[in-house]
Amino acid sequence: MATTIKNTPRAGTERVDAHDKVRGATRYAADDVRPGLLHAALVPSRIARGRIAGIDTAAAQRVRGVRAVLTHENVGALDSGGFLMGGGFGFQSVYPLRSAQIAYRGQSVAMVVADTLEAAREAAALVAVAYEAAPFVATLDAPDAEPLAQTAVLPQPMFADRRVGDPEGALAGAAVTVDLRYTLPAQHQNPMEIIATVAEWDGEGVLTVHEPTQNAEGVRHGVAKQLGLDAARVRVLSPSLGGGFGQKNSLQSHTALVAIAARMLGRPVKLVMTRAQLFHNASFRPASRHRVRLGADRHGRLLAAIHEIDQQTSRHDLFPSMGTEITSRLYGIQNFLGQERLVRTDVQTPGYMRAPFEHPAAFAFECAIDEMAYALDRDPVALRLANDAAADPLTGKPFSSRHVAECLVKGSEMFGWARRTMAPGSMRAPDGSQVGWGVAIGTYKAAMAPAIATVRLRSNGTVRVAVGGHEMGQGMRTAIAVTVARALGAPVAAVEILLGDTTAAPQHLTAGSWGTATALPPVQEAAQRLMDDLRLHAGAAAGEAGVTALALLRASGRPFAEAESRRRAPGQPEQVFGRLTGGLPAAAGPVYPDFVGFSFIAHFVEVRIEPTTRRIRVPRVVSVADCGIVASPRTARSQVEGGVVWGIGAALREVSEVDARYGGFLNADLAEYVLPVAADIGRIEVDFVGRPDTRLNALGVKGLGEVAMVGVAPAIVNAVFHATGKRLRRLPLMLEDLL
Amino acid sequence: MRDLAYLRPRSTGEAVQLFARQPIGARYFAGGTTLFDLMKLGVEAPATVIDVTRIEGLANIDASERGELRIGALAAMSEVAEHAVVLREFPALSESLWQAASQQLRNMATVGGNLLQRTRCAYFRGSPEFACNKRQPGSGCAALGGQNRGHAVLGGSEACVAVYPGDMAVALTAFDAVVDTLSPRGERTVPVRELQRAPGATPHLETVLAADELIVRIRIPRGPVGRASTYHKVRDRESYAFALASAAVAVQLQGQRVADARIALGGVATRPWRATEAERSLRGLPLTRAAARRAAELAFTGAQPLEHNAFKVALGIETVTDALMLAKDRS
Repeated sequence: MATTIKNTPRAGTERVDAHDKVRGATRYAADDVRPGLLHAALVPSRIARGRIAGIDTAAAQRVRGVRAVLTHENVGALDSGGFLMGGGFGFQSVYPLRSAQIAYRGQSVAMVVADTLEAAREAAALVAVAYEAAPFVATLDAPDAEPLAQTAVLPQPMFADRRVGDPEGALAGAAVTVDLRYTLPAQHQNPMEIIATVAEWDGEGVLTVHEPTQNAEGVRHGVAKQLGLDAARVRVLSPSLGGGFGQKNSLQSHTALVAIAARMLGRPVKLVMTRAQLFHNASFRPASRHRVRLGADRHGRLLAAIHEIDQQTSRHDLFPSMGTEITSRLYGIQNFLGQERLVRTDVQTPGYMRAPFEHPAAFAFECAIDEMAYALDRDPVALRLANDAAADPLTGKPFSSRHVAECLVKGSEMFGWARRTMAPGSMRAPDGSQVGWGVAIGTYKAAMAPAIATVRLRSNGTVRVAVGGHEMGQGMRTAIAVTVARALGAPVAAVEILLGDTTAAPQHLTAGSWGTATALPPVQEAAQRLMDDLRLHAGAAAGEAGVTALALLRASGRPFAEAESRRRAPGQPEQVFGRLTGGLPAAAGPVYPDFVGFSFIAHFVEVRIEPTTRRIRVPRVVSVADCGIVASPRTARSQVEGGVVWGIGAALREVSEVDARYGGFLNADLAEYVLPVAADIGRIEVDFVGRPDTRLNALGVKGLGEVAMVGVAPAIVNAVFHATGKRLRRLPLMLEDLL
Repeated sequence: MRDLAYLRPRSTGEAVQLFARQPIGARYFAGGTTLFDLMKLGVEAPATVIDVTRIEGLANIDASERGELRIGALAAMSEVAEHAVVLREFPALSESLWQAASQQLRNMATVGGNLLQRTRCAYFRGSPEFACNKRQPGSGCAALGGQNRGHAVLGGSEACVAVYPGDMAVALTAFDAVVDTLSPRGERTVPVRELQRAPGATPHLETVLAADELIVRIRIPRGPVGRASTYHKVRDRESYAFALASAAVAVQLQGQRVADARIALGGVATRPWRATEAERSLRGLPLTRAAARRAAELAFTGAQPLEHNAFKVALGIETVTDALMLAKDRS
């Protein structure tokens, strides 16, 4: 593949944490080497379902340096932390060591604590477990796997079928129809930073947990519940994550075990999972199957759509499927039915991997739209533009802002779409490769959560910002620093930002692309209030043009000044702050009282397919996003590039392999789980519509991190069809699919 | 933690003598990129590790002999890959190294150790309850009825279908390279082509080397055939992945006709696989794409696909054909 110089200087303020990261100065939980630290190691179940008949820890206890071996027989009081989607705090409702039951392969059956990591892992390998195995279901396709109608098993309105108009009737009457089935595999997030926990108790019985999490408040309240503690006695620190992607969005099932070990031994304890354990002890993207039926008239007006989804869940939890929340909004289709079914399998509970429902659902729906375009002999961009929605088809409410047509038009121009010839197989590269150009759009809810921000300015010029939010590498710290520096007339370097610290501000879950839209408005308002307050006390200086906050503070003679702001999403009641401080999810959207809110994107992809060995390459992608105002251009562009890389991985590389005879995941390491590497990635051009969405919030920002990935996979697969004439409906595409 | 003895001999003679004095369970250690990985997985559990990296002179690349290139067993993969003589006379060898692993691994891993890299079969590397005759003789082969997309279509047996994962050995096989070894019983020379055994009924016996036998150098005959050579590797991503199919190919043309051809296959067989019938079929013929393809098809005669890897036959044929045409372009 041709080498492209991609690291040209970037617009926008550089990341405030970039230098620390590249120097290795950023401290992650796994880096902890505090004095007296003990090391923990987990013992995984070797069966996929059943119970522990006996557990012998004698050999493990004899390993030099071993301090404790925790099992379900000796762990003592350990309450459940509950399931995030069932009123609790955890990614699943199973908390290992609470009983002898085995719910999935790789479930922890014991935890060893020792003076060194080596001793802990050696002893963990020596824990002898006798199992009583039970029959299990490993995959969606297993004969015993039975889809459950979500609307029946989760009787809340948000999980119900999405029905508008008369989809069955309109489909039956449509002149042109397609009826297609798509399959997507389980995948794992594989953040670079592995999940790690350090727990330490102080002399007053206060527990501090340092763990990479997108939800420090949830971890705090969850651990407190599990240990029977007042949440005031638990502090959780998650200042910087080395990637989360949804795998760190709630209480992990082992966190309380580390705290128990630390209390029992009177020493700080650190647990770092192995990569293989991460595949089995944390959430992942569930496998799913889709059936999409579309009906159109001969002029290319989409009349009806029925989108059915079967999504994998665990036996112990019902992880809801939400895919048709976005496919019902991609177009102005007035007769729509979305039906979601859940299929119980014997795995840990799946969860929210970047664009958790939106990527699979958009893959199915946008590939079907491409098939419809060919059935109608309409250009795929023109068909999409002709079916744009003027209002939300489901609720009839207006969109807070919707510029997906502009994404398509702008992207077409950047990509050179006009030079595309419609017929499959009609474009060739000079080297004989087949060339395919594909397009797809994506959307993602514009959600927001309540947040409380404080901004404090000291007379030495330093600014301290505390707000609810987590820095996962997406650039939240940079966006906040830029916002505060601008408001106060302060240098970016003077701004210290406390994130992921439950003692600094309530730490709501950062996920669902609501982080920036949640944290920035109160930060901006607090900074503005601080300026107003400073002016009030600064006498004559207050009137000077361009005066900085620091000059005002010094004029007032005060040592410091501070202001606070509390913001919540439109339509949320004041009581929502109770959920925020209680560690429970409190995000709103996409449906608000007066509008619905979504971000949008259009992706244009070129693929080239070798004539002989049929390798698929993606030399270039153009992506244009509508995320409202761009808060931080540099990190926003990086977010979209990352989303495109994720889409390339999802379309062409990543699958968590299952051997149905054993359960669990077979390729549980970074050599065998095929993530894209730099050599797989060509040129990625990113642009933004850039129109503020002030209906949604005062700053006009919508989310970006997740929508970036939505639609990449179908654009690639549509391009492969355009190159070859072959429709592939199972991800990831494998080399052998085109041989 | 598990105790192990760590020994650091200063000469090859001392190394093999130290090995002979150990109770069972010793391993030579050089780059450690495979051994430590397998120790963490519990596949390897040596009681003694004999670190040979301090032995002087064992990392030399010696091109002073006209007849052969000598590469010390401790030479790093990256050093061999960028050596001027290797680049000029054996481009397929250089490419096989560049396309293996990552730069960090290539800097650590030695060529002697790389020859002995063990299979990536997930059942072999996975937890002990997977049936694996290689890991636990007599336990069966989970891959035969399991996920076998990456497994061998050539050279497999009822007991094992694990692929030999390396790249360099495939190139060395094409070039008729040999390894010199030392053991308490003395020195001997083994063709690289015969180093790995067919799995047969005893897949746990992977090479013809005795446990105490130390590879000290690789020798490659120098001649015209290596210059027009290539290593063509097709895999699931563009870097840092093992081959689904690969071919080390060299051709020597006289006029338009093939005087000598070498074809070795990787990623598709249980051992580095020399396709001699295919080579013979090309001799005396103009090297057209049709002739190359016929030879490639011959190379896969007798292939025995499993449930998920039948594509490797078609892919392998395309890979060998492309490789032959690439090599032709260099002649």
